[in-house]
Amino acid sequence: MSIPTLQGLQTALSGLLANQEALDVTSNNIANAQTPGYTRQTAVMETNRPLTISSLSPTTGEGARLGTGVGVAEISRIRDSYLDSQYRAESSTLGEASTSAEVLGQVQTSLDEPSSSGLSSQLSAFWTAWNDLANSPSSGAAREGVVTAGKDLANTLKQLSAQVEAASGEATTRYATFTGAKGEVQSDAEQIASLNGQIKLALDAGQQPNELLDRRDQLVDNLSKLANVSVTEHEDGTIALGFGNAAEPLVEGSTVHWPQALTSAAGGQLGALLNLTSATGALAGYKVSLNEVAAGLAASVNALQPETPFFSGTTAASMAVNATAAQIQTGPAGEPGANNLAQSIANLRGGATDQSWSAFVTKVGSDVQSAKQTEAGAQAMVTAVEERRQQVSGVSTDEEMTQMMTFQRGYEASARALTAMDQMLETLIEHTGVVGL
Amino acid sequence: MIRITPQMVTSSTVRNVNNAFAALERRSNELSSGKSILEPSDNPYGTGKAIDLQSTIDGLSDHKTSIDEAIGWEHTASSALSSIGQVVQKARELTLQATSGVNGKSDLENLAIEVEQLTESAKQDTNVQYAGQYVLSGTLTGTAPYAAGAEDAYHGNEGTISRTIAPGMTIQINQSAATLLGNGQAAEDGKLLDTLRTIAKNMREGTPAALEALDGGDLKNLDANFETLLQMQAQAGGTVDQLQMAESRIEELTTSTTEALGNTQDANYAQVATEYTSDQVAYEAALKAGGSIVQMSLLEFLK
Repeated sequence: MSIPTLQGLQTALSGLLANQEALDVTSNNIANAQTPGYTRQTAVMETNRPLTISSLSPTTGEGARLGTGVGVAEISRIRDSYLDSQYRAESSTLGEASTSAEVLGQVQTSLDEPSSSGLSSQLSAFWTAWNDLANSPSSGAAREGVVTAGKDLANTLKQLSAQVEAASGEATTRYATFTGAKGEVQSDAEQIASLNGQIKLALDAGQQPNELLDRRDQLVDNLSKLANVSVTEHEDGTIALGFGNAAEPLVEGSTVHWPQALTSAAGGQLGALLNLTSATGALAGYKVSLNEVAAGLAASVNALQPETPFFSGTTAASMAVNATAAQIQTGPAGEPGANNLAQSIANLRGGATDQSWSAFVTKVGSDVQSAKQTEAGAQAMVTAVEERRQQVSGVSTDEEMTQMMTFQRGYEASARALTAMDQMLETLIEHTGVVGL
Repeated sequence: MIRITPQMVTSSTVRNVNNAFAALERRSNELSSGKSILEPSDNPYGTGKAIDLQSTIDGLSDHKTSIDEAIGWEHTASSALSSIGQVVQKARELTLQATSGVNGKSDLENLAIEVEQLTESAKQDTNVQYAGQYVLSGTLTGTAPYAAGAEDAYHGNEGTISRTIAPGMTIQINQSAATLLGNGQAAEDGKLLDTLRTIAKNMREGTPAALEALDGGDLKNLDANFETLLQMQAQAGGTVDQLQMAESRIEELTTSTTEALGNTQDANYAQVATEYTSDQVAYEAALKAGGSIVQMSLLEFLK
């Protein structure tokens, strides 16, 4: 068998088509250079099946193989699944730390310390009011001063308690919003399930569902902020997605198992929210501490006001000034100049109440500090992994430009080969055997 | 081969610019507030310490207020005591005059009237007030120690009034008028009012025995009363000394505590200003580098 006459045209055509397809892929990469979640694609070229031409090898009789050009075998995504799982683990840690830092930071802001308007200043003003009263026990103004300072203190404690309560309520609401019927978890899971189905169909039909895979990876990335995720890939292209510490996989093929119960060990933002609002969590602890400050203050002052308790209520939320200015006792009844009780109360400055407050502020500060440090560390890790992922999967326009030039030149060269082949055939068809005509 | 993509460049540029700007903003906050602790998480232990120190400083300022009040109180009491001192001296002169033996009946009567007036003014002198409080009535500061007129009973009590003048340190600031003036003739306590009333009585009687008593027991009693007065004045003076010493110690403590507080929470201007400048340079560099690298692309060079 000899070489088919028009084979050269076919070979040149395959070069044109393959380069054109590669150019299309490059152009798609450039177009998506800034698209979040996009994985760069590459046209994988393969030589076509060669022809065996026996007449070209008269010596052995086995024939030579003649290449028949090039084809695009597949358009593949360039992605490292190990980096994906690393990214998702760090993203969960970051979600958890940043949510803790945010909620605790909110409590810290409401403390308004150190400042000249926080509870410590008001405690100080309260003790000063008692000292002023001790200096002039019969002064009506000094009595009113004590009552006013006491009311300020009680109001501030009440507000602080309400703010901690509000932070806890907000955290609960956020958890409910994420996990509710139309929440992020449900909607992401449903999309992943439907993508699972589409990917399976496409693969069955022998297609490369690159965009669907990108979309699914992006959804899993998004869920990894909310809780720890684990991805198990199946042969048919679908994934099973473990979520937090839920008993069943969130997505299995095209089935969604949600809602499920999570605990504070779920990781991510949801784990942090559960952790913060749990009965043994930070916010509950803050409330206990605030109540201790309030109860300690009320008990120590009331102990020195034997007739009418100065404060009523033993929790921060229920704290109020009970005594009127006239009911305040500075000393034994009937001795307007006696100041021993007022003096003793003034001397409570720097005592257990002040200390428990400053210990509380220190505690909140340390909690926020460590949450912020964890957040900064996790942020650095996420950034580093994301950078590595970009290194592998990101589109470099410079690189694509170079590719574009390569394929463009390849296309031109194939076209030139086509022209050469055409001229050869022209010689054959137009100029061969015309001698006798 | 390390691939660098425009997205990587963009995100790291944004990150670097943000970080540099955050550092700059932080320094700027420190500079404008003058504090290095802007919220507890900046330095949890330091915040707790700052709160404690601030309360200590406020407490010292309370003690200073108490001391100033107490000094005012003591000055009021001292001036009352020195007025009474003049009364006692005047009474002594009149008593000596009465015993000189050259006085007629009416002279002695006049002397007795004068002593009675002195008695009245001694009682008046004890009725001094500091900021609306009778200072010599014990804890019954709303009641004058003595009423005007013939009734000489002390209306105050022996209650003590004290001031906290340093952490854990109190000092008694009041003295009872009864220690000096007593409860009058009816009580026969040998105190000033008893003595003065007896002197007036003996002057009026004018008998040799009465004059003898004037010269002997009455003068002796008067001298003993004066001695008591001197002791009370010495005590008031001593209290003022103690208060002033406490005040200067409070001032020292306030200075050193304020310094400790400053070290804990105040920004070190020299350091922060230097850091601010270098952060500014870093920020500008991040902007400039980012601005030029983001623009660069192979596209610029392909025609």
